[in-house]
Amino acid sequence: MRPLWALVRKELASLFGAPTAYLTLTLVALVTALIFFDHLRLYNQILFIFATNTMGGFETDTIPDHVNLWDTVFLPVMETLGLTLVGAVPLVTMRVFAEERSRGTDELLVTSNLTPGQIVAGKFLATFAFVTLMMLVSFVYPATAIEQGGLGVLHLASVFVGLWLLALGLASIGLACSAFTSNQLVAAVSGWAVAFVMWDFSWANAFIGEGLAQLLNQLALQPRAIAIHPRYGAFAEGIVSLANVAYFLGLALVAAAVARFSFDLRRVNG
Amino acid sequence: MRELALVGFIALLSGLVSYYAIGELGTFSSVNLGLGALALAIAAALGLHRLRFTGGPLARRVIGRGLLGIALALAIAVGLERWAAWQGLTFDWTFEQRYDLSEAVQRKLAEICSGDEPLVALFYFDPEDPRKRATGLLLETLQRAGPCLEVRERRIEENLAEVDRYAVGSSNTVVFQLGDAFETVPRPMEGTIYEALYRLTSRGVATLAFLRGEGEGDPERTDGLGYSGLAAALTTEGYQERILVSASLSEVPEDVDALIVIAPERPLLPQTLDALQRYLESGGSLVALLEPGRESGIEGLLAGFGIEALDGLVVDPASAPVDEGVRGVNVLAFNYAAHPVTAGLNRSRMTYFPGVRPLHLRKPRVEDDVQRVVLSSHRGWVSEDLSWLARSTGLPASDGAQSDYQTLAAVGRYPRDGKETRLVVFGDADFASNRYLRALYDLDLVLNAVHWATQRESAITLRPKALRTSVQFPVPLTSSVQALYGVGLLLPELLLIAGGLVWLRRRRS
Repeated sequence: MRPLWALVRKELASLFGAPTAYLTLTLVALVTALIFFDHLRLYNQILFIFATNTMGGFETDTIPDHVNLWDTVFLPVMETLGLTLVGAVPLVTMRVFAEERSRGTDELLVTSNLTPGQIVAGKFLATFAFVTLMMLVSFVYPATAIEQGGLGVLHLASVFVGLWLLALGLASIGLACSAFTSNQLVAAVSGWAVAFVMWDFSWANAFIGEGLAQLLNQLALQPRAIAIHPRYGAFAEGIVSLANVAYFLGLALVAAAVARFSFDLRRVNG
Repeated sequence: MRELALVGFIALLSGLVSYYAIGELGTFSSVNLGLGALALAIAAALGLHRLRFTGGPLARRVIGRGLLGIALALAIAVGLERWAAWQGLTFDWTFEQRYDLSEAVQRKLAEICSGDEPLVALFYFDPEDPRKRATGLLLETLQRAGPCLEVRERRIEENLAEVDRYAVGSSNTVVFQLGDAFETVPRPMEGTIYEALYRLTSRGVATLAFLRGEGEGDPERTDGLGYSGLAAALTTEGYQERILVSASLSEVPEDVDALIVIAPERPLLPQTLDALQRYLESGGSLVALLEPGRESGIEGLLAGFGIEALDGLVVDPASAPVDEGVRGVNVLAFNYAAHPVTAGLNRSRMTYFPGVRPLHLRKPRVEDDVQRVVLSSHRGWVSEDLSWLARSTGLPASDGAQSDYQTLAAVGRYPRDGKETRLVVFGDADFASNRYLRALYDLDLVLNAVHWATQRESAITLRPKALRTSVQFPVPLTSSVQALYGVGLLLPELLLIAGGLVWLRRRRS
């Protein structure tokens, strides 16, 4: 275990030794704060328009029920934040394996006393730690502002768990893509592409027809089951399901196996 | 092979961009997605085929082992997810426990699923509606509780004929179909869905009669003082309702399963009281809602059955001032006797009685059973002088009145004429008025009382709350700006400084 933790420490030191990590954290925190503030401003405006038009004030039933802090501010912000992560996380993961390859330092790693599985595990763990920090930073402003609105703490926790798992899932995809190339740009683009394809699989239903879709639905094998967005969406709605947690963990496991496979391919192809 | 994979990849992405942008699959996106997937599949097959012929047996073994590892990881991931889904372990972390189905809904779904007719939920929505996901999750939760429920998603703009047929007024509407019957639910929440399911399955199971004509509570009046909410809830629970005019009442019709009398303001005519007496002596059922300070003659009738309405008002110091009233007068009741009428109610499921008169019980005959079901706290006492109500908002002095559990509602069973007469008496009527019916568990208490009186104990349950709490007050912009400066901008600033320092240090070294 000691070499593994040494690798994790080295990866983290390498991440925080470069300004890119700070820049990414800054961007994520800034974008989240601005998106949230903008939605909050819009929400206040809508409320004032309804209250003015109806002469009702805020305590009557004159405001439509869908205009509320949760549906008008928090959920759209979380949706946008989810999509922001699809864009931001591959920027973090692109260098993890690809940089080692382009510099040739991966050869040193392979010849060390670390197995390919340990190398993959170490890099995944270090990236997960960074992504966790990124999520904490991005969540500070929404949590502070939502706390003023008196929404449930547990629901906030559910949203955070969802965002965190989404970030881990996206990081896993990005890492797997990074493991197959020495070009960081290719790693980032392929990470975006795979995450984009997996984001919502509803379109696949159009190819299989309603009858087959219903049959697959009954067998719990519908194409949508492998999509990321509905899984994350359930957390945003306050539902913490063991199946959705297992989905993201499974995604990380498969991505790690795929990244591990890249070492086998290198052994064969040289 | 690589060229084919690249082309397939770009085609797939183009199809997806088109799909996400338009929100539906047009010819462009369909062709691109189809051809892209096909090209990628062929490229993958060619790649695998080529691998077979490159390298020696050792290389093939290494590749095979790697692919086996991926397959194993995939199998573990799918198995883990399926196992977790099968376990069905789900936590509802919403503030209102929106996805924790009440016992009432679960029982209703089980009842429907035990029948032959399929239950279908047609979910009409606009793709951009943010409420779509929450409703979809609620329907999934209902499906877990009632596997016979089939959910069909319908985009409004693609199903205009159905929208017209089911009178779907807006996005986020669910139509429940059971056989030929259907119910449209415009604001699908657990409470409204429960009411729709009940209306679908329980039509005309019993007949209730409201006594009218001497200033009783009006089941057709829709303002806060009326009882239209109670009448609507009873219709939902399957009752047919009719009005009996007390002045012309000589006999209560035989098909009336229970009579409801809501606090008459004027005295009932002697022949009306006689008709009621005969009705009760022959095994009828009565639900009486009384009010402090009113004497209509029905109190004497009830006293004959061992439930005596005392003069005065219950004052319970354990109840905080509610609704700008005098402290202790608007009683929050949380003491219940074990009885079907109060099934499920406990110290955390309170009922609210805005001004209630006390009841005193005695047993008229040895075979009769009279029981109190809702009580004040042990600090409750009875004030016979009500003049202080106009003067004070503080807790009135008890002036030596004895504190004890005061009876706020009582029930009685009386074997009569080979049948069983059932009485439910409340010392208050306002608690079931439109203004207070949905407060706390008042609706459940009064509906369960009617179910018990009509001997429909199987329908007794605690209903899901129909309304969803939503935060609709503005978040002050000034405090938002302060939070933006304090957290939203300060944090990025600090991170940027840290990044800049790291960059400078790296340059120096």
